[in-house]
Amino acid sequence: MEADELLLLVAGGNHQAFEELYGLVSGPVFGLVRRVVRDPAQSEEVAQEVLLELWRSATKFDPDRGSALSWILTLAHRRAVDRVRSARAAGEREQREAWRAHFPAFDQVTEEVEAGLEREWVRRCLDRLTELQRQSVTLAYYEGYTYREVAERLSLPLGTVKTRMRDGLTRMRECLGGVA
Amino acid sequence: MSLFRREDLHSLAAPYALDALEPPERVRFERHMKDCDRCAAEVRALSEDAVRLAWSTAAPAPAALRDRVMAAVRTTAQDPVPQEAAREPARARATQLPPHVWGAQPPPRQRVRRRIPLFVPFATATAAAALVVASLFAVQANRTQDELNAERDRSREIAHVLAAPDARASSGRDGRGRTIGVIASATEGSAVVTLGGYSTPPGGRVHQLWLMRPGAQPRSLGLLKDDTPLVATSLGSSATSLAVTVEPAGGSPQPTTQPIVQLALKSVGFGE
Repeated sequence: MEADELLLLVAGGNHQAFEELYGLVSGPVFGLVRRVVRDPAQSEEVAQEVLLELWRSATKFDPDRGSALSWILTLAHRRAVDRVRSARAAGEREQREAWRAHFPAFDQVTEEVEAGLEREWVRRCLDRLTELQRQSVTLAYYEGYTYREVAERLSLPLGTVKTRMRDGLTRMRECLGGVA
Repeated sequence: MSLFRREDLHSLAAPYALDALEPPERVRFERHMKDCDRCAAEVRALSEDAVRLAWSTAAPAPAALRDRVMAAVRTTAQDPVPQEAAREPARARATQLPPHVWGAQPPPRQRVRRRIPLFVPFATATAAAALVVASLFAVQANRTQDELNAERDRSREIAHVLAAPDARASSGRDGRGRTIGVIASATEGSAVVTLGGYSTPPGGRVHQLWLMRPGAQPRSLGLLKDDTPLVATSLGSSATSLAVTVEPAGGSPQPTTQPIVQLALKSVGFGE
């Protein structure tokens, strides 16, 4: 079964559907959370919260508003970003930077896990963006920075960062095309 | 009242899709989105793009995580279904259909594995039926008596399709998250078709629905107005797919543009 169908069954309290859904989405959820949060223990913690939240709030999924996978990964990303930001706010930045030293950056991480077509494709498309588009998109999405922080880090006006993010995403869409 | 002018709020769609807003801005933008269809549509598209970035990071989750999640799920209650009218739960609507339509046992159709670039069917009876039925209830307010009568006639036709013993549902979603849903009965040769998320084409042009058959020219099934369901009859068992094109006002005798979306009818029992 597909995620959309499963999520609707999960919303009805179906445990078996949840186990099947877990099989489909735990990898993407965990990978995304780990990419953003980095710290392995915290990543597991956040991924667990997200997967449990899927069970709890499946009732709120509305298929009119987008696919189940999009809903699930948006939720996972939101929680991961919240965790990274509160860690930063709590002055754990140094600790995070220390983790960063242990965990290789984007390019190496992608090599270490099994290479998929989608992964290659996304990377190729990211490479095709302008430097500022790519940095605006990846600093926000993979590192969890707000667009104000991105603007500061790149020494760009806020308006420029917003535009770069939008252009970057739109160009990714064109590049990725219909490969779903 | 808002600190942001409207144009400023529009420009927050991309940062929002990337979760790059601070919480107060996020809240303000979400409030704005409720009244701004354009923003909502843009966010939906940009969010699908952002999710593509997520796929490239997938990694196997630790086995222990699974055990912990499954244990927690056994003792965790689910949230109640939200009651807001705007997002009335699709599940509740779906259950108003006969079980064989909305996907309770037994599953009505054989699965067709897919990877069509233009159009990816996420095709499940449940979700599809929910999509179609969702739009049935979306059109209610501000109707004249004539419109209400027409509405009622169409509801009867729709009910007729749904009641057919072989009624099956299918739906699909294009790369931008827009949907087409169909509930069809091959024996009756009839189908209910809805579009979701396709805005009205500019310049008075229209969405026209076509029936595609092998060795025959496309046959017009009528014009699709926004997300109002269209009931198509006399489809014939050789029908292979439905297609939607953008045509000049009033529609065309034959398609003049490429389909914006197509849906195969095999999974709903046609083309035998």
